[in-house]
Amino acid sequence: MLKIDEIDVYYGDLQALWGVSLAVKDGEMVALVGSNGAGKSTLLKTVSGLLRPRRGSISYQGIRIDQQDAHKIVEAGISMVPEGRRLFPDMSVLENLELGAYLPQARQAQQKTLRWIYDIFPILRERETQAARTLSGGEQQMLAIARALMSQPRILLLDEITLGLSPLIVDNIFEVIKQVNKLNHIAIFLVEQNVVLALELSDTAYIIENGRIIGQGEAKALLESQEVKDAYLGIAPASGETD
Amino acid sequence: MDILQFAIYGLINGALYGMVALGLSLAYGIMGYLNVAQGHLIILGAYGSYWLFRIWGVDPFLSIPILMIILFIIGIILYMAVYSWLLKFQVISRLKSSLLISFGLMLVFENMAILLWTADERAVTTFYSGKVADIFGLRLPYIGLGTIGLAIIVVVALHLFLTKTYFGKAIRATAQDWEASQLMGINVARTYLVSFALSILIAAPAAAVISMRVISPGIGVEWTNYGLVLVILAGVGNINSILPAGLFLGLIEAISVYLVGAPYTGMAGLVVFVLVLLFKPQGLFKGRAAL
Amino acid sequence: MGTDLKKLILFLLMITLFALIPIVIKGDYLLNVLFLLFLYVVIAQSSNIMVGYGGLLNVGQAAFFGTGALVTRLTWISGTPFYLAILLGGFSAVALSGFIGLPSLRLRGHYFAIGTLALAIIARITIGNLFPGVSFIPNEYIVGYSLILRYYLALFLSAAIILIIYLVFNSRLGLAILSTRDDEEAAQAIGVNIFKYKVTAFALSSFFVGLAGGLFAFFYISYYYYVPFGLLWSFEPILITFVGGAGTIAGPILGSILFVALKEAFAFTLGEISILIFGIVLILVILFLPGGLVSLPQKLRGRTGKPIV
Repeated sequence: MLKIDEIDVYYGDLQALWGVSLAVKDGEMVALVGSNGAGKSTLLKTVSGLLRPRRGSISYQGIRIDQQDAHKIVEAGISMVPEGRRLFPDMSVLENLELGAYLPQARQAQQKTLRWIYDIFPILRERETQAARTLSGGEQQMLAIARALMSQPRILLLDEITLGLSPLIVDNIFEVIKQVNKLNHIAIFLVEQNVVLALELSDTAYIIENGRIIGQGEAKALLESQEVKDAYLGIAPASGETD
Repeated sequence: MDILQFAIYGLINGALYGMVALGLSLAYGIMGYLNVAQGHLIILGAYGSYWLFRIWGVDPFLSIPILMIILFIIGIILYMAVYSWLLKFQVISRLKSSLLISFGLMLVFENMAILLWTADERAVTTFYSGKVADIFGLRLPYIGLGTIGLAIIVVVALHLFLTKTYFGKAIRATAQDWEASQLMGINVARTYLVSFALSILIAAPAAAVISMRVISPGIGVEWTNYGLVLVILAGVGNINSILPAGLFLGLIEAISVYLVGAPYTGMAGLVVFVLVLLFKPQGLFKGRAAL
Repeated sequence: MGTDLKKLILFLLMITLFALIPIVIKGDYLLNVLFLLFLYVVIAQSSNIMVGYGGLLNVGQAAFFGTGALVTRLTWISGTPFYLAILLGGFSAVALSGFIGLPSLRLRGHYFAIGTLALAIIARITIGNLFPGVSFIPNEYIVGYSLILRYYLALFLSAAIILIIYLVFNSRLGLAILSTRDDEEAAQAIGVNIFKYKVTAFALSSFFVGLAGGLFAFFYISYYYYVPFGLLWSFEPILITFVGGAGTIAGPILGSILFVALKEAFAFTLGEISILIFGIVLILVILFLPGGLVSLPQKLRGRTGKPIV
């Protein structure tokens, strides 16, 4: 459904991504893992239209989207939860959600979508009239995800949503993500530093390092692979070192 | 009850200052554009009101809807021809660039006006100009009452627009985080376009009132001054406090005229302004930015 | 040092050429126009010091120009020799900059711009009230009026400021000032005393503006006292600097030439079309040629001009 084909992305004169290729199928959950600064967020920003690739292409449902404006890409059905959430701080929870449903077709279905959102994130109904600024970290993340869902996307892009959250809340949120993925058939493309979690949840995974894809495959398989274990899981080779 | 009379004139002026500053604050709060040609644009509107009156006998207050359309169109043209190019600059440069560009526009408008209509001063005089309502011995000019009424209507209308309508919320969202707004499906370029045009058209009532005072090609600067002063007094981006700040300024001016006489009218506000800049640059009025 | 030597030679050549003009060409018209050109070069370069090199958008320059003019005029009329009077004008402007500059430099960015603008307006209104009339000079002065003297004075002043800018901004002082423009926080981090350099730039700039104001007072036979305080004296130098290229030596010179040329070309039409055109040029420059007109040859050759703004 979403096909990224050999894209090069630059920040000004600085190249950040080299020949990245990736695919997300209908209803799939795909993870992109890698260390800090590897280019994960850059990739998501490019898919969502905030950045444009200098080379290569991105297509969705067979149509090229890499040169389109960000708001058009949302219209096409791709919605992103940006890094750092980027809520509208002075607007209420409800207003943030309403803005998520800005698109005409989303606006029409707004009431229905809102009921669903409040079902899966009940705390948001409680905090409906509060300013987004006043919510706790976990609640803000839920709001950010909910807001992205209001536009009725077919693919949801998640950029580092576990940052700064306690494990309990993270579990909570990913329960909802799984549900949204399996029950509502919304494909998920998530970018994470928390490698274990990402690989445990997803169907397919890609590994990125220094702006290049260095590994891909079935998530469970990657989880077991030696390279991933060495590189990311901190399992030190047996040589007398203790934790 | 002299001072009360002065206070009334002060409030009337203050209401007018507020209406003038509203567009300026809007443009700056939403897009980070400091449009120092705002005063000149208002005067262009005032010329419109003048000619509507001279040629077709349209009363200035009644001409406001027409002026709104004219100013809206001018705003759109201006944005597409000039300001839209500023989007490619980062936010910091936007301020300086928009400042300089609007300088340039000031020169263009002023000299255009001289070429078209000569440097002569003009004003609209209606049958109710100079007439007052006499209440408890106080003189309340009809035009002044109209000014205050207009100011209240404009401020309330803008507030409702920004808080109750979808597009208004989109505008506020864009002001708070324009990248995140794009991710909502909001067309930021179009939002900026409409916001800018809005910031011009919202000065239509002020233009009508000013047309009944004095119009001349160069007088726009004085109104822009008041606008800038109020933007700082109210706190940058704080649209809700513009009218109170205006009334405050008007009162200060009135009191200073009462105490030291008319020639120093402009000074009082400026002195307060400089003091605020030095000691309380975030503005006199509380409340986070209303956008 | 090769290109610098070439520039120096070019500079000296130009000065010599201009110095020869009163001898070679008869008639006052050219001298008057060139006087105006030199005057604008001085105030544009002064503005350049603050805005182009120092990164401080000082919109209050009219107050300093006016002060210089006022002090010079008053002292000159009451008998002080003209060179002293003009110098006094310069120093009074510096004094004013110390008085206003110190508190106002605490303001950042656009607050500084708006604040200095406010001050200029206050000055304009105050003078308009305190000195409402026209300033005349005694008849003996009119009889002994030498355009050539004033011409050479203006030439000298503009040459001086160009030289000073060159020397300052190739020195450590200039480097320090530039650092405060480009990244204030970084400069502070390496120990640069930001405030000191801002004050220095302010003082240097106002000194020359004051001298220019003095030149104005020395040149014009009669004018309303408030004229040198008019806001145009704040705006025009900034526009000229940006159109020509802020932060360069040649920029304000180029801008002044264009400005005065336009003014002369359209001198007989109503309504200052020259300024209208200049306004349009400014807008185009800001949007498409941020380095100013001086960067045009670079741009045409295909290299990207670095925006100074």
